[in-house]
Amino acid sequence: MINHLRQLVINSTILFVVLFAISYAEAAPLKVLHLSLSAAETGFDPVMTSDLNTAAIEEQIFEPLLTYDYLARPVKLVPRLAQGMPVITDHGKTWLFTLKKGVYFSPDPVFKGKRREVRAQDVAYTIMRFMDPKNRSPYKFLVDHKIVGLDQLGERAKQTGHFDYDANVPGLEVVGPYQLKIHLTGTDYNFGHAMAQPMFGIVAREVIENYAGDTASHPVGSGPYMIGKWIRSASISLIKNPNFRDEVWQFTSTDPSDQDIIRRMTGKKIPQIDEVDLQIVEESQSAYLSFLKGELDVFGVPGQFAPIVLSGNQLKPKLKEQGIQLTRLVDPAITYYFINIQDPILGGMSVQRIALRRAILMSINDEEMIRVIYKGQAFREAFPIPEGVNGHDQHYQSLIQYNPKEANDLLDAMGFMRGSDGYRRQPDGGPLYVKYTTSLTSQDRDLEEIMKKSLDRIGIHFVSEKLKFPEIIRAERQCRVAMRLSSWIADYPDGDNFMQLWYGPHTHENNASCYQNSQWDKLYEKTEMLPDSPERDDIYKQLARLLEIDGVTKVSTSHIRNVLIQPWVIGYKAHPILPSTWSYLDIDTKQEAH
Amino acid sequence: MNHTTTSPSFSPSLWNLACARLVRDKIGMLSLGIVLFFILLSVGSFTGLIAQNWDEEIAVNYAPPSFLDTSKEHTDTVSRPVIARQQINLYGLHDPLSAVLNQIELAHPQDTMPPNDEKKLTHLLLGADKWGRSVALKTIKGSETSIMVGLIAAIVATCIGTVLGALAGYFGGWVDDLLNWFYNVFTAIPYLLLIFAIAAVLNQKGVTTIILILGLTGWTGVFRLIRAEYLKHRQREYVLAAKAMGASHYRRMFIHILPNTFHVILVQLSINVVGFIKSEVILSFLGFGVPVDVVSWGSMLNEAQNELVLGIWWQLLGAGAAMAILVTAFSVLTDTLRDALDPKVVA
Repeated sequence: MINHLRQLVINSTILFVVLFAISYAEAAPLKVLHLSLSAAETGFDPVMTSDLNTAAIEEQIFEPLLTYDYLARPVKLVPRLAQGMPVITDHGKTWLFTLKKGVYFSPDPVFKGKRREVRAQDVAYTIMRFMDPKNRSPYKFLVDHKIVGLDQLGERAKQTGHFDYDANVPGLEVVGPYQLKIHLTGTDYNFGHAMAQPMFGIVAREVIENYAGDTASHPVGSGPYMIGKWIRSASISLIKNPNFRDEVWQFTSTDPSDQDIIRRMTGKKIPQIDEVDLQIVEESQSAYLSFLKGELDVFGVPGQFAPIVLSGNQLKPKLKEQGIQLTRLVDPAITYYFINIQDPILGGMSVQRIALRRAILMSINDEEMIRVIYKGQAFREAFPIPEGVNGHDQHYQSLIQYNPKEANDLLDAMGFMRGSDGYRRQPDGGPLYVKYTTSLTSQDRDLEEIMKKSLDRIGIHFVSEKLKFPEIIRAERQCRVAMRLSSWIADYPDGDNFMQLWYGPHTHENNASCYQNSQWDKLYEKTEMLPDSPERDDIYKQLARLLEIDGVTKVSTSHIRNVLIQPWVIGYKAHPILPSTWSYLDIDTKQEAH
Repeated sequence: MNHTTTSPSFSPSLWNLACARLVRDKIGMLSLGIVLFFILLSVGSFTGLIAQNWDEEIAVNYAPPSFLDTSKEHTDTVSRPVIARQQINLYGLHDPLSAVLNQIELAHPQDTMPPNDEKKLTHLLLGADKWGRSVALKTIKGSETSIMVGLIAAIVATCIGTVLGALAGYFGGWVDDLLNWFYNVFTAIPYLLLIFAIAAVLNQKGVTTIILILGLTGWTGVFRLIRAEYLKHRQREYVLAAKAMGASHYRRMFIHILPNTFHVILVQLSINVVGFIKSEVILSFLGFGVPVDVVSWGSMLNEAQNELVLGIWWQLLGAGAAMAILVTAFSVLTDTLRDALDPKVVA
């Protein structure tokens, strides 16, 4: 009887412990990272992506062969899907990538319940997609003219209307299921950077073919996250990819400021966060107020909010007391005004039109913009390649300087005379105006005011065109945007990534100014064959000057990135190149609840 | 012989009675005064008598409000030297504008930008916006846009509603069915959503666009009431008499019946004015409204939304207070008019 009683007590205790453990496990709160995006996503087919917000999400869903070390500065390439760094031979012409084994795509009905491993053939297919004319990839420039036999395949597709993915491309040699040898047409030491872009995240052919025509709605990659819930242009929830391999956080750094991150994160399984909740919040004020209420975990401080967040370069004491962390870095990015060379009013290469464009660009006061709109969180940039990127020239002086008086004199001399209303007409008496495109946010209204004031200084009518960001991108690719203040952040730290923005064949892709100048294109093609060197830098200066001479572009500013992080977010360090690093973070749920 | 005349018994008209009632209502008269004051302001602004220079940057950025302080200070826009073009390396490239720019420089030598020794006010009556423009002048100029949009759009909407309501009510039958179907379609869509949809489709910013949007969407209320009035009046003896005398449909509708519905139209017009002033503000606040070179109370409130976080409250106060006063006064005036024009109300 006593034995039975004892057994009953023991069994009850075990049952109680088990139930307690189960209930505790069930009650463990989900780690959710709450973030906001300043513009709506444009769809998740990496080959078609060109905007930063979408790329940030794709960085978590898809995996390219390489990536950048999270902590290393200056940035350093490290393997991601590749087993190790590629073996480069033949003076940088041959790149042998070996893939990790046991890497699987996230589940999708296309795979019919089976796990689908990522193979070398998928990498070759992913690269080929950039040359398929149907995809109109804005990042085609990363492989254009570079891989043996791939251009010819693209040309054939243009003629036949069909891209033959089964064709043998000599430059994409699948050595085995896990090995791909890429043969380049010439020496290119930057090719590794191309293979680290989220746009080169590996996709499965059967997925793309199954969802043909709607691939942007069906992202299937091998990254740490996959799409959970998606309300277009409103919210996106990323959940853990159940097929993601075992990978642990093991970054190292000698920077003292990184030691706390290393101490708290080393050895943890990637990813630690269960869900990334992204809300589209176009207005910075709403995002900031949400951050203050703890509804957002990370907030990129726009310039106009700097006075309420910063005292000089430091976080305001009130925010510091709340444990909020600040990360600052100079963005490897530029903002630049471009004028569409195909625009019926502003385009063309006649001396009159060149003078008109240059006068318009000379009327813009960047310093006023930095002071009034960006509240000092930006600085004047003259060169198209920003600080921190190979090829940058800090001593470069722009030909186009703020000088409304000379701009007026130039227009007078060119026959753009003022009418009785004080505004100028075309030399032939036709109407003269600048259609300036912006988005719908309040900051864009400020940018419009700057432009309106600039044009008023030289007596040119201002016409506003307001579009949502994805519509602007579409319009740019169709050469329908006459003028805009655009921005570009480095995908990789090399000047080529910026200069390609004006390359003639990139019209309908990234060349929003639709600039076509054979002299410029030839010089650019020359730089593609050169490593980072003084010789290449000299050509970059010529390219920059030619853009100014033709009145195509005026580089405006570079910005300081200020990021606020809630105290419960562990492991955050702003990365100059990676568009998102969410899988490397953790959340202290106890502190968050507190 | 003394000639005596008997004065005919005086029978005041509907309008005389209405005026008498209106004058007796002190709050109504005060509201009328406020509305007239705003209309005068907007007319003055439209003709350029006041607030013509509203877009001049006369003060420092975000100059705070003050009644007394009129001190000035140098602006912080630094006069920086212009780098001589000859010093800029062309890297062996040919500049097609070299010759003309050289001529310009010879004619107007300029080593530096024109010195910026302009002094700007540190305080203004209602403060300044981010560019240093007077909020008081912007509020006055904004009244022009808001009142013009409100009045013209209300007239457009009332005219459309009156004509369609008259047709539906007078003819009945399939005309009535068709117009009622049209009315139902319009009213089935939430009003603001309909406005945004049309604004997005037109994608042309400007006062005319806003007037069109509001005018084309705001006629439904007038339509419903005028249709009911016409249904009531078309069988009245005076209309039947006109018909017997050979009056045409047009004459019966617009010469005989219409004057008897004026009191309804007038009240609806004033209700629409209030509604449209508010709609313009909402449209401009959300970025669908006036373009950047036009100021309205809505665009001021749009600017104020980010300024408020920075502690800059005066633009919100200027536009918000002006709109609140005008809308309240117009609403009270509408109520007073409705009472004054209602023949059932006993004096």
